[in-house]
Amino acid sequence: MRIGVFICHCGKNIAGVLDIKRLVEEAAKLKDVAYATDYVYLCSEPGQKEIQQKIKELELTHVVIAACSPKMHATTFARAVEEVGLNPYLLEIANIREQCSWVHHDAPEEATEKALEIIRAAVAKVSLAKPLAPITVPLTRKVLVIGGGIAGIQAALDIANGGFEVYLVERSPSLGGHMAQLSETFPTLDCSSCILTPRMVEVARHPNIHLFTYAEVKNVEGIVGQYKVTIEQKPRYVDPDKCTGCGDCAEACPVIVPNEFDQGLGARKAVYVPFPQAVPLVYTIDLEHCLNTKRLIVCEQCYHACGPKAINYLMEPKEIEIEVGAIVLATGYDLLPLEALKEYGGGIYPDVLSGLEFERLLSASGPTGGIVRRPSDGKIPKRVVFIQCAGSRDPEHGCPYCSKICCMYTAKHALLYKHAVPDGEAYVFYIDVRAAGKRYEEFVQRVMEEERIVYLRGKVSKVFQRKDKLVVWGVDTLSGMAVEIEADMVVLATAIVPSKNTADLAKLLKAPIDEFGFLNEVHPKLRPVESSAMGIYLAGAAQAPKDIPDTVSQASAAASKVLGLFSQEELSLEPIKAEVNLENCDGCAYCVDVCPFDAITLVVEEDGHKHVEVKKALCQGCGCCMATCPKEGINVAGFTLNQLKAQIHALLKEDEDD
Amino acid sequence: MIKKRMLLNLDKLKIPKGKPIVFAERCKGCGLCIEYCPKQVLSFSDDYNEKGYHYPVIPPEKEGECIRCGFCRQVCPDFAIYVEDEN
Repeated sequence: MRIGVFICHCGKNIAGVLDIKRLVEEAAKLKDVAYATDYVYLCSEPGQKEIQQKIKELELTHVVIAACSPKMHATTFARAVEEVGLNPYLLEIANIREQCSWVHHDAPEEATEKALEIIRAAVAKVSLAKPLAPITVPLTRKVLVIGGGIAGIQAALDIANGGFEVYLVERSPSLGGHMAQLSETFPTLDCSSCILTPRMVEVARHPNIHLFTYAEVKNVEGIVGQYKVTIEQKPRYVDPDKCTGCGDCAEACPVIVPNEFDQGLGARKAVYVPFPQAVPLVYTIDLEHCLNTKRLIVCEQCYHACGPKAINYLMEPKEIEIEVGAIVLATGYDLLPLEALKEYGGGIYPDVLSGLEFERLLSASGPTGGIVRRPSDGKIPKRVVFIQCAGSRDPEHGCPYCSKICCMYTAKHALLYKHAVPDGEAYVFYIDVRAAGKRYEEFVQRVMEEERIVYLRGKVSKVFQRKDKLVVWGVDTLSGMAVEIEADMVVLATAIVPSKNTADLAKLLKAPIDEFGFLNEVHPKLRPVESSAMGIYLAGAAQAPKDIPDTVSQASAAASKVLGLFSQEELSLEPIKAEVNLENCDGCAYCVDVCPFDAITLVVEEDGHKHVEVKKALCQGCGCCMATCPKEGINVAGFTLNQLKAQIHALLKEDEDD
Repeated sequence: MIKKRMLLNLDKLKIPKGKPIVFAERCKGCGLCIEYCPKQVLSFSDDYNEKGYHYPVIPPEKEGECIRCGFCRQVCPDFAIYVEDEN
């Protein structure tokens, strides 16, 4: 065995603290080390050439590179050694930057000792390493997109246009998500429906997209390349193949229900489409409010009104099994409930609205046809106060983050309100105005100056009712004055929170979420659309609050990642997987219970002999099995018990002969 | 007093309206129509029909609440009730 040790200076990052000369000298003395050297930047082209040259020249069999974190350059060095014929699993990285020089810059001598221990441990580990080859698993080149808002729509269209099959699952009866609820979009004031509905129709007509609306993902099993997904199609009680969307059923229906799509400000019938441009344009009977129950059909007015006889009260939920290779999560957002903002009268006074509710009042397809009216008495409000950061940037409400879109949509609301009610007054309370985006700042300036909206820098302390007015107590921190405004309506820019069930779905997919429940990306800068669960990609506000342009960009990025994955026929996986040592395994099956990925099964041979078996494709190499096994009967390749033991012994400075 | 929110598009929605017509003399007071009316529009009369039964009536406070589903007609064993279209 001939181990080569290469120690990187990383400019002054490492060499500025550690005594490199001593490290080289000591490393050269270690058992089986044939060569030790140092270089100013090993990751540079000449640095990599130096490593390659020495491997060839000195016939090195194993390599230790003492440098930065393996997260940074393990792949770089693995490629370099592979190019000269050394198996990349015979390379070990000793992290003497993040775990040594950076954190111990005030104690260089001790740090040098520690670096030496780290190198010694790496040498001990690599000396027991065996060459490994990547394993290939089959890849189902189809994708599941969860969520039919603009994020899911964009991702589905991009992947479908790339030539792969897409299953798009949406929980509500129609595609469109929150974007379909918006009136106009900032900063261009494009009508939201006008730009969204053509996309929705494109999804429904696309030959590569299988659309499931009013459906939910019930179960997901397997790993990247081969997920088995169960979708539950909820019964609409209306046959989608027969329904023409004429609406005769809704006209005949006697039951009035607040329409969720209008945020409860308008009414719908118990048989309904959420909005007239819904895709698919198929009516749905809401059994919770319909006079009929599962056991008794009382009212048949929709049935008699329906020309094509599409109503079927006996429909049952259906389960659909599909196989996909990757999943895009585009589950979107909800708003912090108004009831959480009692100090602003949220949930107490009828004329304290959320941003999305005000959006429905402004919308031409909304319950008032675009005329701004108060939900309490239907009167047109002449003075409206907008309160930004309602819940956002406020640790007390559990949302210390900025919801990102509120500054812009509040400016848009104020502008649209002034256009709808030219003699009305609009006031905006803000902490700061965050208008970072193309033409965003210009838009806010236009609202402030041309539309004569009064912007007050400060927070509101209280909103309360006085006769039929809402009194807003706040402070203008620029003038230092307390402010009291008697308003007809108050609009709260409530904080954005992850949509409900995001956490359940994330748990099902083993995709990590952050402390607020948003889906976590692998790396905030360099891998923003990938989940650390391989094969799971993120798009839209499910990852963090974001506006439509950002959502669409991210959805296209997620789609391009999926297309990249699908560019190969088979999937190549790292060989760091559990391996069973049949000599030691007695089939006690403790490992079967602890495996978080259901990758281990118990096999009973015909002669009664028992042992476990690992499904390599499912194994993630976590090592729970190895830690549990009482017999040393299972090992993770590349991290065997012997390797870890050798590493720990070396760290504890025990003599290898002991 | 704090007002509740109203549904702002209620005037645009058409709701079917009906009026139950009772043939009191045919009724035997079984009460099926009262039991099954989904809007609980019907209740027993105070007086008796000629057979000596209480028959269904619409109390004044329920006037106009019938939604014309016609289930009372369907369940009545004696063809003693039907609904007229009020729209």
